[in-house]
Order: sequence, then C-alpha cells, then structure tokens
Amino acid sequence: MSWNRTLFALAVLAAVLFPLVVRDPYFLHATITVLLFAFLGSSWNIIGGLAGQHSFGHSAFLGIGAYVSTILFIYWNVPPFLGMIIGGIIAAIASIGIGYPCFKLRGPYFALSTLAFTEIFRIIATTTEQVGPVDIKGAAGILISFRPGNSFVNFQFAEKAYYYYIILAMLILILFIHNWIEKSRWGLYLAAIRDNEDAARSIGINARRFKILALMISAFFGAMAGTFYAQFFLYIEPTLFSSALSIEILLIAIVGGAGTLMGPFLGSLILTPISELTRTYLGGTYAGVQLIIYGGVLVAIMMFAPQGIIPPLAKRYRMLFERRA
Amino acid sequence: MIGFIEATISGILMGGLYGFIAVSLSLIFGVAKIVNFAHGALFMVAMFLVYWILVLLKVDPYLSSLIAAGFLFFFGYFFQRLFIEPILRREKETAPLTVILLTSGLMMIIENVALLLFGADYRTVKTGYTGKVWEIAGLFIAQPRMIGFVLSFILILLLGLYLRKTNLGRAIRATSQDREAARLMGIDDYRVYKITFGVGGIMLGFAAAFLVPFYFVHPAVGELFVLKSFVIVVLGGLGSITGAFLAGIIVGIIESLGAQFINSALVESLIFIIFIGCLVVKPTGLLGKQRE
Repeated sequence: MSWNRTLFALAVLAAVLFPLVVRDPYFLHATITVLLFAFLGSSWNIIGGLAGQHSFGHSAFLGIGAYVSTILFIYWNVPPFLGMIIGGIIAAIASIGIGYPCFKLRGPYFALSTLAFTEIFRIIATTTEQVGPVDIKGAAGILISFRPGNSFVNFQFAEKAYYYYIILAMLILILFIHNWIEKSRWGLYLAAIRDNEDAARSIGINARRFKILALMISAFFGAMAGTFYAQFFLYIEPTLFSSALSIEILLIAIVGGAGTLMGPFLGSLILTPISELTRTYLGGTYAGVQLIIYGGVLVAIMMFAPQGIIPPLAKRYRMLFERRA
Repeated sequence: MIGFIEATISGILMGGLYGFIAVSLSLIFGVAKIVNFAHGALFMVAMFLVYWILVLLKVDPYLSSLIAAGFLFFFGYFFQRLFIEPILRREKETAPLTVILLTSGLMMIIENVALLLFGADYRTVKTGYTGKVWEIAGLFIAQPRMIGFVLSFILILLLGLYLRKTNLGRAIRATSQDREAARLMGIDDYRVYKITFGVGGIMLGFAAAFLVPFYFVHPAVGELFVLKSFVIVVLGGLGSITGAFLAGIIVGIIESLGAQFINSALVESLIFIIFIGCLVVKPTGLLGKQRE
C-alpha cells in the first residue's frame, strides 16, 4: 500500500514539474490533449467501468458542457469556471432523463439507445440556428474570440502551462473520486450490478437508482471536460455530440482497461498521440488513417485482450512483487 | 394532395428497401444476437462493387446484384469466421458488448480504407432508367425505386420460404429460438451463425445493387442506413421478417412525408425518438413474440 502511495506521489511530482522541463508549445499542447482525453475516459469509466453500463452516448454530456459554458460566456459574460459547474449540473439533470428510459434496457439495447440519444442531440444542435437571443449557428459551430493575457476569469491563457495545470488537477480530482467510489459501499453495489444485475437486485439493491447516480456523476465530469475543450480549442461544433466521438471516448477507457483506475490514462497515452501525430503529419490528404489505426487497435484489443491492457499488466506487476517478497 | 400521395408512395418504395436492409440485419441480430455495427460498411462495399462493375464493365446493376450478393455471402461468412466466432467461442456466451466494439472497429477500418481508395466524392451513376418515371393514374413513380421495391419484396418472400422449408433454414430458426436446445439436437451452432451471416450478406448485396441506380455512392453511405436499420429491426420486432419489412415501410413513409412537410433533419431525430420510445414501451416491437 505504501509502495503505491510513494509511486503515486512521485508520478504527481513528475507531472507537476513537467511543463518546467518541456518548453516546446506543440509538445505541451499534445500533452494537454492526452490529459483531456484521459479525463474524458475517466469520466466515462464511472458509468462504463465501475457500473459496467457501456454507454455510447457520453459525447452528449461533453457537448452540453461545451455549449452551456460557451453560450453563457459569450452572451452573458459568465466566467467559464462558473459555466463549467452550471454545464455540469445541466448535464447531470439531462442524464436523469437519458438514464431513466435507457436503464430499463441492457447490453446492446442500452448501448443503442444511448447512441440514439446523443444522435438526437447532434441533430438538434446541427439544425438549430437560433434560440431566443442566442445564436447557436447550427452546423457552422461557435468560435470563441480570444481575449489576450492569462485570465482565470475568462479561462483563457496565452501560456499553455495554465491549461496543463488545470486539466492535471481535474484528472487527479476524478481519479480520487473514482478511487473513493470504488472503495465505498455504493461502489460495491455498482460492482454487484456490473457482475450480475439480477443477483444484485435479488438481494435488494435498487439497481436503477444506483446506475442513475453513477451516470449523473459521469455526466457532470463529462460536461466539465466539454467546457475545458471549448476554452482550450476556442471552437465548438455539433460534432461534439456525435456518436463517433462517444466511441472514441469509450475506446480510450476500454483499451486501457474499463473499470481500472489508471486504464483511461494509459489508453489516452497510447491512442491520443496516434491521432495527434496522424492529424499533424498526414493531415487532410489521408484524413482517415487515424481512424484506420483506431479501428485496428480496437479490433486487436477485443480479440486478444478484451479486458484492456491494465489487468494483464497488473497481474504481472503483482507477481513481480510477490516474488521479491 | 397529389404531393401528399406521391410523397407517401415514394416513402413506401424507399421504405421497402430500408426494410430489406433491416431484414438482413435482423437475421444476424436475431439469430446470432450479434449487433453488427459493420453492417453499413459491408453495404457500402457492395455498393462500390456494383458501382465499379457498372462504370468499368458496363454491366447493369440488376445483373451485377448477383455478383454483389455472392461476394457478400463470402465476405459475411468469413467476417463471422475470422472475427466474431473466436470471441463467441472464448466467452462461451453471447457477448454482445465485446462484439459491438469489435464490429465498430471493423466499420472504422473498412470505411476509412474506402475513403483512402475512393475519396470523399459523392458518386452517382447514369443508367437507362435513372430519372425515368412511370405514369400511373396521374401519379409519377420513379422506375428504379419501383423495381427495387418489387425485387426486394420477392427476395424477402424467398428468404421466408428458405427459412421455413429447407433443413438449413429450419436449423437457423431453431438456433435463433434456443441455441442450447438446437445444439442438443445436433445442430452445429457456429456453422449456423456463419451461414446466417452469409445469407444476411446475400440480402445486403442485393439491396446495395437495387439502391445504386438512384442513390449516391460514398464511403460513409452505410452510416445513413445502419442506425436506421437498427431502429427498424427493433420497431418491427427482433427476428420477425414481416415485422422488419413493415417497419421499414413505416420509417420510409415518416421520412418522406416529414421531408416534404416538416424538415428532413428533424425527422431523423423523430425516428430516433420513436426508437427509444419503442424500446422502452414495447421492446418486442410490432410483430415480435414475447420471449424470456
């Protein structure tokens, strides 16, 4: 146990010192993207991993967070940090509406119905030009104008290191919450539901209520990632709601190991650089290469290590220590 | 009024093709309980096959539909054999989630390879009957749509006959009803799955060929159909061929009337809303049997 803690403290220390050593803005930008997708994967992991409900609609929450905070910021000058919380709450409320019908279903039906929900959001965002005084701009998306300087009020920074520390703090926060849920009584309920829902219900666990609670937390953090996305890239569009993005998010968690604490981080560490590199070096001419690689990784993982990368690694790691001891 | 009737007819004709595609999906989904996200990608492959045969060899799509159907039989058969069967064997039970992810990975690969090879152009073909209409009682009916509808209907009847009258068809139905019991009766369930996938491929190949004369061909064209097909399968009732065909027609009518009188994008979301509503309220669909 103390070994793990030391390791964790060392990792955090290294992560904190990282921007002081690495000065290259492109590299830092890529690292921030890795952490953002690790955070997204971790937020999916609460409903998809801990509760075992493989939602295909996580991008709905990402989109809600991005649109809510951006619209509040542009039209009413609400600081995005506050918008992040508001977006999170709205996403959590929306998740009740999504979870209530979808949790009646299981397995593939659950996956398909969550996918249908996020597609509905995408279609609405694509076709809506204006709501009252607010210009949503439909398919064109919304550009956020850059306000110079480093400002926490505007959530805009000329130096990328600020973004880095914010997303790092968010990631550490969600890892703590994941760890706390997993060890709590409620986390055990979720594990029971994941492993055998009928058995869990038969001993009196209110499966649907606990699943909706997990989905609400998952949605809240997914929406926070949306606000970060908007403020970091300064551009949002309806494809944020797309099911393709949902699949990318769950892919990151599953490749690393759904339900494991560090799975999404590892998954993002492997997959996000692939997409960043192909986007930079192959760009427009070979637009699909990134997705071919993604698809290949997904197929390989499903065929040879369906639990993801972490569980087999953890086994080795444990064996290593047992032998030493 | 004429506009209304014509939109309805055009919806029915397009819906028949939707239903036909959904029947092929329903066969795979209903028998092997496999959620095949790559269905649309297979469909796209068949459309490109027919397209290139037409462009390069000048063979009529209705003739090359036989080639597409044959090709997709083997494609489907080996798709199941190489990718899905190892997972089913390993996990010992129907493992829908692993398979969903696997097939969505395969979809990404197939679609983007097609994108690399053929580019993102929307391709259309010119045949002798593209844009031609029949005038029946003052109504104009597009010829390729009508031909596609009639041929789909005939093929669905043949499929029904095949499933009811042949030994292999009976084995397919038995496996879909109770896999374990079918196994005990000496049916090789994995072989049945492969054949089912192949037969689904045949239907898909025909459907693709019927669509080419009046639709565009594009690497992502399958995505337009695959989600709709799942909606139709669920709406019609899992495993019910008649149900899938009827639900296809219903979706076609909603879409066609909606595009004319409301807004085609919003109708798309209406279809998803119907889908969720149907799953929650009546998961057995229009004609599905209660099963537990």
